[in-house]
Amino acid sequence: MLDFDLRYAWRDFSAHYVAQLAPGMTTVLGGSGEGKSTLLHLLGGYWGGQGRVRFNGRDVGCLPPHERPMTMLFQSDNLLPQLTVWQNVAVGLAPSMKLNAEQRERVQWALEQTQLQAKQQVLPQVLSGGQAQRVAIARALVRQQPILLLDEPFGALDPNLRQEMLRLVLEITQRLGLTTLLVSHWPQEALTLGGHALLIEQGAVRAQDSVEVLRQTPPPPAWVNYWGAAKRVNQSSSADQDVA
Amino acid sequence: MTKARALADAAVRLAPALLGVGLFVLVGLASVAALWRQADVTQWAGYMAQPYLWRLVRFSLWQALLSSGVSLLLAVAVASCLCHRNFWGKQALLQGFALSMVVPTLVAVLGIVVVYGRSGWLNQWFGLELPLYGLLGIVLAHVFFNMPLAVRLLLQGYALIPGGQWRLASQLGFGRWAAFWLIEWPYVRRALPGAFVLVFMLCFSSFAVVLSLGGGPRSSTLEVAIYQALRFDFDIGRATFLSLLQMLICGVMAALVYRLSTPPPLDVSLWPRRVPGLRDSGWARTLDGVALTLALLWVVPPFLAILGPVGSPTFMATLWAPATWRAVGVSLSLAVPAALLSVALGLAFAVGARAAMERPGWAWLPHQLEQLGNWILVMPALVLATGLFLLLRDAGWSAVPNHAIVVWVNAVMALPFVLRALLPAVYQYEKRYRRLYQSLGVRGWTRVLRDWPLLRRSVAQALGYAMLLSLGDMGVIALFGSQGLVSLPLYLYQLIGTYRLQEGASVAVLLVLLCALLFMACTRGIGGPAPKVGVGHA
Repeated sequence: MLDFDLRYAWRDFSAHYVAQLAPGMTTVLGGSGEGKSTLLHLLGGYWGGQGRVRFNGRDVGCLPPHERPMTMLFQSDNLLPQLTVWQNVAVGLAPSMKLNAEQRERVQWALEQTQLQAKQQVLPQVLSGGQAQRVAIARALVRQQPILLLDEPFGALDPNLRQEMLRLVLEITQRLGLTTLLVSHWPQEALTLGGHALLIEQGAVRAQDSVEVLRQTPPPPAWVNYWGAAKRVNQSSSADQDVA
Repeated sequence: MTKARALADAAVRLAPALLGVGLFVLVGLASVAALWRQADVTQWAGYMAQPYLWRLVRFSLWQALLSSGVSLLLAVAVASCLCHRNFWGKQALLQGFALSMVVPTLVAVLGIVVVYGRSGWLNQWFGLELPLYGLLGIVLAHVFFNMPLAVRLLLQGYALIPGGQWRLASQLGFGRWAAFWLIEWPYVRRALPGAFVLVFMLCFSSFAVVLSLGGGPRSSTLEVAIYQALRFDFDIGRATFLSLLQMLICGVMAALVYRLSTPPPLDVSLWPRRVPGLRDSGWARTLDGVALTLALLWVVPPFLAILGPVGSPTFMATLWAPATWRAVGVSLSLAVPAALLSVALGLAFAVGARAAMERPGWAWLPHQLEQLGNWILVMPALVLATGLFLLLRDAGWSAVPNHAIVVWVNAVMALPFVLRALLPAVYQYEKRYRRLYQSLGVRGWTRVLRDWPLLRRSVAQALGYAMLLSLGDMGVIALFGSQGLVSLPLYLYQLIGTYRLQEGASVAVLLVLLCALLFMACTRGIGGPAPKVGVGHA
């Protein structure tokens, strides 16, 4: 169980997030600038906020990012451009990249899971956007942290590829029993993934429900604002919404 | 619009820029040509046969190599430390570093003499007498100037590291060592060749330092030999030969290093650039501490040394002496026009480079323009000035005062630094906003108005640097200075030369104050408030 009570202020933006999340998928929804990424950066320890973060009863809010039981995938800049794919994964186990036999095996396993065996010796610059994010997922796999934070890492991918990635994330979440938070612009993605949806508005958790509420008409009161707007957008633009 | 019309249109809009670049190139070439006409090739074989010449060359190379090597080695350690550690006074130190390269050479020389000289602090306090005059003094002074410069160049490289990589480093638990090799080194390595060339050339063609700390013909450099040939022997043929040799060596050196290096990419990361705390260790702390202490010991004492006589009777007497204020007047009348001219030239280069950016068929131009500005470092200032002097004499314009020659040469010599301050900002905003401007039809004068708030800080910084460099110049003025044309540095040189160190220190303090005042006037007055470039929180 991941539970947090976090406050954060930056210029004229202030936020206060409170929630408890069970293992499994949770999709973080909300409009642009409402503070979805901020929540993930606070949980990961990249931005300093006040409050607490607890995981299975253990206080992890004071730890530096690398000691928190989490792996975060960012929108971009997930790979070190000067390291090969294999090194980018291996560096998740040891910064020196000197691995023992068991760790090497783990890297191989992760590369297999993400179908990157053929690419292990190439540099990130020759990878496509989808491959690059798969490398980041492979690293998340070897790190074996129980919490996975995904800050729209697939935002720049085309719909098919995005769906493929989401399936991969869903699969590893279920298989490894992770607590996964995925920030998304698309409510449809939440429906694809199942689990829970967290609605962020003006720097606060406005609602936390099973994703099934997104199928209700009319939606529950807390979702009316967001979901109503999102649906209108859905009707006016079409192609991009094929994800669901 | 036809292609020819478009080209003509562009030429009209870029006229001021083209004029600036053209003037720079023409005057430069004409000066060299004027010098060349005085050269007597038949004598060259004779010059080459002199063992003195090769001793000069060897010593010039050796001291430059040693100085730039020590500067860069220390700078790499200090830059990495400054990037990771926060401590009290860090901002002040960075600002001090920014200024140390433009501290008037002679002020630093004086400071070094007061600290390390025969009756200096080191000898008084620790009984340590160093053979200051010669290689040691030269390297001490060169590292004093160039290590902070190298640190700043490296930190520019550090600024290119995308914020996301630091975020990764903190996620993956990198220590200082891993972060240095995996993240910093690729950027440092890209910044090093450029920094090396710059520092090497500055040391190789260093004049005032070698003139005052060389201590004799045994440790003289080509640049000083050129000065002696011009000033004492008035042997223009010999000076031409020496300067061509100097340009050849610098040119080969620069070409070699640039060939080996790749130009650093301009990467704009929108993630707020905060270097997070990485895993620390005892020896990382120790190493950082050693590097920082060494840097401080190298840079700070000479500064303090010149403050010695503040408030003393000599200080007050020097302050009220008419000669002092005449020198202040001369310095201002040289530095202000030179700085304005230099920035005008720099803007011409920048606008020209900007217009060519990413245009099919023209993409090579910005880098070449930048190099054109840098080539001036290969050219000894004394040679440029002498060439210009001869050019004016040959053209029958002997009425042009030496004053104007000094102003022009100072402006041109400051150009590489002006370009370094201007170009990155110009490029960055062009990259970000070109399409937007194009779509809105913002060009010409409206473009200048739109750009001004974004660029004014860089312009102010460029002006400040140019001002300080000209204020502190002790190259051309040494050659062209005369009874009526004694600037503060020249006055200081005369005082040090006659061992009037107390009076010298008073003048040095005044010079530093003047520098600080003018620099602040530039950065605050023109720089204005920091631009608010928004960085989103989510």
